[in-house]
Parts: sequence; structure tokens; C-alpha cells
Amino acid sequence: MIAPLIALILQATAALDTPLPDAAQEARAQALMRELRCTVCENEPVSQSTADMAVDARRKIREQIAQGASDSTVRDFFVSRYGQYVSFRPPTDGWAMALWAFPFALLVGVGALIGLGRFKQRKRDLTPVPDDRSQDDA
Amino acid sequence: MIAELGHLLAFLALATAAGQSVLGLTTGGEAPRRLAVATGMFSVLAMVALVISFVRLDFSVVLAAEHAHSLMPMIYRIAAAWGNHEGSMLLWCMVMSGYGAAAALFMKDGKLRDRALGVQGLLTVGSFAYLLFVSSPFTRNLVDIPFDGGGLNPLLQDPAVAFHPPFLYTGYVGMSFVFSMAAAGLINGEIDRDWARRVRPWALFAWSALTIGISLGAIWAYYELGWGGWWFWDPVENASFMPWLVGAAVIHSLIVTEKRGGMASWTVFLCVLAFVLALLGTFLVRSGVMTSVHAFAVDPTRGIVLLVGLGIAGGAALALFAWRAPMIKQGPEFDPVSREGALVLNNLFLSVAAALVLVGTVTPMFLQWLGEVGMISREAASLSIGEPYFQLTLAPMVAVLLCFMPLAQAAPWVKADLGPLVKWLMPAAVAAVLAGIVAMALGGWGVWLGFGVLVGTWVIFGVGFDFVRRLGPGGAGRLFRLPLTVWGMAIAHLGMGFFVIGATVETATRTERTFPLSQGQSAEMAGWTFEFLGVKSVDGPNYTALRADIKVTHGNTTEIIQPEQRAYPVARTSTTEVAIRKTLTGDVYVALGDQVREQPGAWRIRIAHHPLIDWVFGGAALIALGGFLSLAARVRRRAPAVTPATEAAPVAEPVGPASVTA
Repeated sequence: MIAPLIALILQATAALDTPLPDAAQEARAQALMRELRCTVCENEPVSQSTADMAVDARRKIREQIAQGASDSTVRDFFVSRYGQYVSFRPPTDGWAMALWAFPFALLVGVGALIGLGRFKQRKRDLTPVPDDRSQDDA
Repeated sequence: MIAELGHLLAFLALATAAGQSVLGLTTGGEAPRRLAVATGMFSVLAMVALVISFVRLDFSVVLAAEHAHSLMPMIYRIAAAWGNHEGSMLLWCMVMSGYGAAAALFMKDGKLRDRALGVQGLLTVGSFAYLLFVSSPFTRNLVDIPFDGGGLNPLLQDPAVAFHPPFLYTGYVGMSFVFSMAAAGLINGEIDRDWARRVRPWALFAWSALTIGISLGAIWAYYELGWGGWWFWDPVENASFMPWLVGAAVIHSLIVTEKRGGMASWTVFLCVLAFVLALLGTFLVRSGVMTSVHAFAVDPTRGIVLLVGLGIAGGAALALFAWRAPMIKQGPEFDPVSREGALVLNNLFLSVAAALVLVGTVTPMFLQWLGEVGMISREAASLSIGEPYFQLTLAPMVAVLLCFMPLAQAAPWVKADLGPLVKWLMPAAVAAVLAGIVAMALGGWGVWLGFGVLVGTWVIFGVGFDFVRRLGPGGAGRLFRLPLTVWGMAIAHLGMGFFVIGATVETATRTERTFPLSQGQSAEMAGWTFEFLGVKSVDGPNYTALRADIKVTHGNTTEIIQPEQRAYPVARTSTTEVAIRKTLTGDVYVALGDQVREQPGAWRIRIAHHPLIDWVFGGAALIALGGFLSLAARVRRRAPAVTPATEAAPVAEPVGPASVTA
């Protein structure tokens, strides 16, 4: 009695996935699927989603890879079609470079500030204080 | 009746919390203590009342009507009580007042406890006001009571995720008490070694619980979402990861403050920041600025109220900090090359990591908002930041940080001589390089793979070396005489090593293939044979499943595994239940896909191999265990001679974070 309903639900979530015969190409395609967003379910990559858009995207990715497209060509194809939003990898040009660089700049900058402050007042007469094993070692 | 009783109890908790905050911040003493215990009791009972409404399927309670269902097993009816916005806010309130009650019961009398209870009371008042006036879980609807309820999202009907919120909140909301202790110390003008010693157990407890909560979420994602990923850098995941990073920084900088009296201002600032980030995470999850499985409250007013609360709590704490910071004494001097120096480095890296995750999470939302209000064009507003970004920025940072870990453990305070340390750790470095090369040779010469295994091995060996060093000439005989804090540190740091190896190996070498199989056909992958025996229909309590029988052969062992697709008629969705065959080197992961259209009778079977996946979750478990062991050390330990003013308390009762009394 409930079977048609189940069939319906499962069919709705059906995905048509035929892997590429070449294992290296298939691996590349799968890596790309993990970094492209399913625009229907929003917080899932197309590799994971069962939405039609994702099924379609997986087929497109495999098609293009099979035709010899490079990773960035495939990425650009999706970005031009759906906008930058579709790619979980932010662009590496323009202001977005700051996004990539800031953690390292922050690390080096703050690190240098602390380090310079400390090294300037570095003294030779400090004596090491070892952990006292009988007490509390942390 | 039960729901009204719950509602009343929540109001009582609001009232006692108000009394607790006023008296805690003014007179102090026995009264706020008793009120804090009462607040805790009332809120636990209010939660019990809500759970009873769910268990008894009282559909006149709107929340139960929306989220419970008669066919749901008991455990999920209970979990459904907090698997929604209102119920989870009650859980939030319960955890928050629970910390207050625990502090009232276990902390020693004094100004620090009074003020901490006062501040915790204020936070609790705010939370209960939010609960009762903006998102009450006890609302009744007596007209047209539905015949049955809406049910919990089938994806969440899973044991790991049923207990994910309680652990996560114990961690997340636990940061509120760390915040309260920081505010109390600032109010008293006493941010010193004794303060640090009394804060650290709470920070350890909250942080370890947070570790478990996050891990449960990751484990669930791994086997329930059906694609084998365990972390996706989803904004919701990041929301819990930020307080985790800052919490990790807190428990390390507290060591410097406790042992040496150093970094006190920074430590107290971090204590404030951890909770502010927890609040910010809550705002991101509940304001509707994002869509996700977790984002169950898509209501802008709730978001605005949260943002205002965040502003008040954060602003007040920072003002307090600005006022009192000049009073905080500087610690004794130390050389950059020393234990202190290493812990400064730890804090630098962890804070930058938290900033990275914050910026990476908030930037796309901010741009989207700018686009919506028309400040920038639609194209410029379109940005996503996900796995590739975080992997390329955070991973190298963590790797560099971990390179210092063994050195930090072995370095003495104040001043260290790097030469002998490096020489002593040379064998660990050699082992690490060898392990990295072997991993690359086995796994296809990936640079990331080699580097990750190198770092992880270095950590494991380095921690092991340090452990043996601490045993000293006594050797293994001293094993159980080592302080628990040493065990805690060693186990947590080992966990980090295992985690890094597991995470890099799993990410770099997982393989996945989809095979269309008809009955009787078999597929081969990585030395395993999978014979498809067919699909049958099976009834569960509130779902119907299609269950595949697959005969798995590896060497001489044969086993039948049964991946399923479950259809939940009430929710009109389906879930995948993967079948996982554990092996020593990783998981064989099998999911049942859909029927193949071009090949009648054939099904797509997705087979994946997740190498060393248990190292990922096992590593995380060790990290949490290490945290709890360090905490237990405080509970067991007699009062140490940290400061002359230390109250010589006897061994505390070994319950909860009782160590504070020590």
C-alpha cells in the first residue's frame, strides 16, 4: 500500500551516475564535485547532493573531463554559469587575494611584533625552571 | 498540565536567576549560592517537562505537534525535544544554569564565586528572557489538535546525533562560565595565578565536552549523509569550531598564568572571546542568515535579539577588560625560547586560526548582505568559501604549530637551550621523515600526504619521548605515579598526532566507485569482492527500507552486509543507511544507490574505502579524554603550593568540575 509512495520518494532522489572509465580522470572529476556547490540544496557539494541540479552537474563535469578539459576550465564553466557562489574555492585574483593572504600576513605580522618585543629585552641571566615532577606538570 | 508546569518552572528559573545575579554581584555569600542551585533545578525540571510532553506525544503543545510523531522510537522522541529551535534554547538555558549550580555546589566560598555566580546569573536571565519571550517551547494550541505530529527530520533520527546537542551545548555554553569567571576576576581586580588555577577546570571541562560534541557531529556526517565526508566547512560546523580553537588557546594560556603568573591579560581576554564567539556562532545558526540542517529558526527578530545580546555581553566584558587591564600584573620575564615562549606561539597560531575561520565564514554572508541592500552588484556579492580555502590555509598553519609541540613539551620554563632538545628529538625527526616518505610511496606521491604523515609521526614520537623523559630513571615503575596532568597532556597531544595522520591519509587516499550491479553480479575493488544478492523491502518503526544484501569477500573471510535506503512517509524524505565493514586499515563503505534505468534489475552500488578513518575519530576521542584527565587531576589533587594564599582544601569530592574547590 505504501510501496508506490516509497518508489516515488526514492525515484525523486534518484541520481544517474556513471563513473568515467579512466580512474585518474574519475578521481579528478570527483575532486571537482566536492568543491562545487549544489545550488538547490545550497549547503552541499554536488558530489553529495541528490538534487537534479547536482546530477546534471556531475554529468557535465565528467563530460568535460572526458573531453580533456582542465580543472580550471571546468570551474570557470560553472562559475560563468552560476556565479562565483557555486565554487567553494574563492577566486585567486583581485581583492580575493587578500582573503588567501591575510591569515599568513596576520601570523607573520603579529608573530614578528611579539618576537621583536621579546628579543629586544632578551636577557642572558635568566635561569631555566624545570617542571617539578613531584608536583604539577603541565 | 505538564507543559504549563514547565512554563512556570522556566519563569521561576528566570526569577531565581535574577536574584542570583543581583545578590551575587552585591552581597554575595550563601543567598546567591542557594539561588543558583535553585535556578539549575528549575531549568532541569523545565527540560524534563518538555521531554515528557514529547514522550507522551501531547500534540496540544505546538512544539511536540511539529516535531514528535507517534511512530518515532522513544530515543528520538526525547531527542526531538531539543532537535528544534525552541527546545534547543531550553537546553541552552539548562546547561547555562547547570554550570551556575555546579559552581555554587563545588566552588569555595569567596568573592570570585560570588561574582562569577552573579555574572552567570545575568547571562542566564538573558537566555531565559529570550526563551520565554521570543521562543517559548511550551506554547499550547488547543484548537484542532493534530492527530499526529510532524516528526523529527529523518536525517537526525540517529543515535550519534541524538546526543550531539547535549555535548555540544555543554561545551559551547560552558564557555559562558569561563566568561563569567573572567568577568568576576576583572570585577574583583584579581586576575592572578589563583584565579587561573580556579578557571582552568571549567575551561577544560567545557572544551573537552565541545570536542566530543563536534566529533559526534562529524561521525554522524560520515555515516549518515552517505557520501563519506566528515567535515565540510559548513558555516554551522565553523560556528562550533571557532570557540573550540579559542578554547584550546585558553586552556594553554591558562597554564602560563597559573604556573608563572604570565599572560594574564591575554588569558582573560581569550576567556571573554571564547564565549563571544560561541554567541556569534549561535547568531549565525539561528538568525536565518544561513540555510542548513541546523538552521531551524528562520526568523529575523530572533536574530536581532541575539545580536543585541551578543553586543551587550561582549561590549560590557570588553569595557570591563579595558577598565581593569592596567591593574593586571605582568608575569616574570622569560626568554622567547622557553615553555612560555612556546605557549605564546601556540596561542598566536590558534588565535590566527580562529580569525581565519571567522573571516572565512562571515565574509560570504556579509557580501551577500551587501548585495541584498544594494551596496554592491549581484556578481560581486556572490562568493563561497569552503573546503579548498580552509585546507590550503589552515592545514599548513596547523602543521607548523604541531612541529613545535614536542619541543614545547620538553622545554623548561623561563629559558630553554634549544640545541640539546633538538639533538634529543633527532630520532623522532628521522622517524617522521621516514614515515612521510613511506606514506608518499604507498599513496601516490602526494605532497600533502607526505607532509601530514610526517607531522603526525613527529608529534606521536615526540610526545612519546617526552613521556619517557618524565618517567625518569624510575622507568615503567613510575608509570602510575606520574601526575594525571602529564597523562592528560600526553594523551591529548597523541590524539592530535593520530588525528592529523588519519585526516591527511583519509583525505588524500580515499577511493570511491559506483558499480551498476544486477543480482548475482559482483564488483572488485582494492582486493575486495562484492557480490550483489538482491534488494528486499523491510519495514522499520516509522520508515520503509529497501535493503540490499551484498556478499563481501576478502581473502578467506566472507560476510553479508546490508546497506539501505529508507523512506520516511511522514517527512516524505529518504535517507541512506550505509553499511560499513571495519578493518584495521580503514573502512569499506557501501551505499545503496538508485536503480539503473538503462539496465533493468540493476542497482548502483557505491563502494568507498576510507583509510584510517578511525584515527580521525579515535584521535578526537583521545583529545577529549586528555582534557578530562587533566580535569580529573584537579579533582584528585591536594591543594598545591601555587600561591601563599592558597586555601589548603582537602581532596575534593570527585564529582564534576569539583576541582575548583582545590
